[in-house]
Amino acid sequence: MSVVCEMAAPFVANSAVDGVDVMRPFRSHTATCLKCQARHAAMTRTARELAAMEGVRIAAPADLEWRVMASLEGDLAISRSLNRPMAWAAAVVSMAAAVLIWRLRPKTS
Amino acid sequence: MGNPGDPGQVERSREQELIARAQKGDRSAFAALLREHQDEVYTLARRLVGDPHLASDVAQEALIRAWRALPRFRGDARLSTWLYRITVNTAWTHKNQAKRHQGASIDDHLDIAAPVDAGHPEIAGEILELRGRLRLALDRLPDPQREVVVLKDIYGWSHAEIAESMGISVNAAKVRLHRARARLAKDLEETA
Repeated sequence: MSVVCEMAAPFVANSAVDGVDVMRPFRSHTATCLKCQARHAAMTRTARELAAMEGVRIAAPADLEWRVMASLEGDLAISRSLNRPMAWAAAVVSMAAAVLIWRLRPKTS
Repeated sequence: MGNPGDPGQVERSREQELIARAQKGDRSAFAALLREHQDEVYTLARRLVGDPHLASDVAQEALIRAWRALPRFRGDARLSTWLYRITVNTAWTHKNQAKRHQGASIDDHLDIAAPVDAGHPEIAGEILELRGRLRLALDRLPDPQREVVVLKDIYGWSHAEIAESMGISVNAAKVRLHRARARLAKDLEETA
């Protein structure tokens, strides 16, 4: 395998996928090199298969919907609790109680 | 103006109605959208990250992000395109958080083979064999290279869209794709 084939390889691959001519510096080489032409043909098949993959769907796990909806339920529960004045009041009272207990703790000195 | 009897138009109208309801907080409407699009979100996640379990986590988080961002969805792009973008961004985040699963087994790929022409068993066999090698070769690509190949050569994104999504320049996206395709071709050649 020639050095030119190796240098041309990325350009051959790209031209096959994009359906355009191989870049000028390698065009005359690839026009006569059977190895490069075979590579081009192989990559053209590969590109076709890649493009065909777009229409192919992999089935999502059966529990995905449940997991997403359960997470949303958690989100809503938090936002609902933040919207409740009683929840806020309870949180403030708890914090005040904690501060009071801390301040009134027995001194050890 | 689309034909009101056109099934595609009917489907789009139904989807727009579901989106509008979901944007107002209707979870049953969102669940209907989710059922419609979860396979495509999971498929893209799977192609981007390789590992089925990680892909499942990516898809879950992407769909949760979609719910949270839905009020800001203006309908400029199709919902599936918008979901793809969220999935890609979520995959980037996960990629940085989790170690990539190495080497999915070939059995993992058999479920995603498109039907081939059964009338020509030799050609069908060749195509199946190429698909198997291609998917393994994709898995072997380094993450950034696999991502550009998936987005460009499977999903047909433009260089600009890929660059924006990955936070790189258009030129860098082109170079990355150039290298990825060369590596893919070399890998396929070696495993032929």
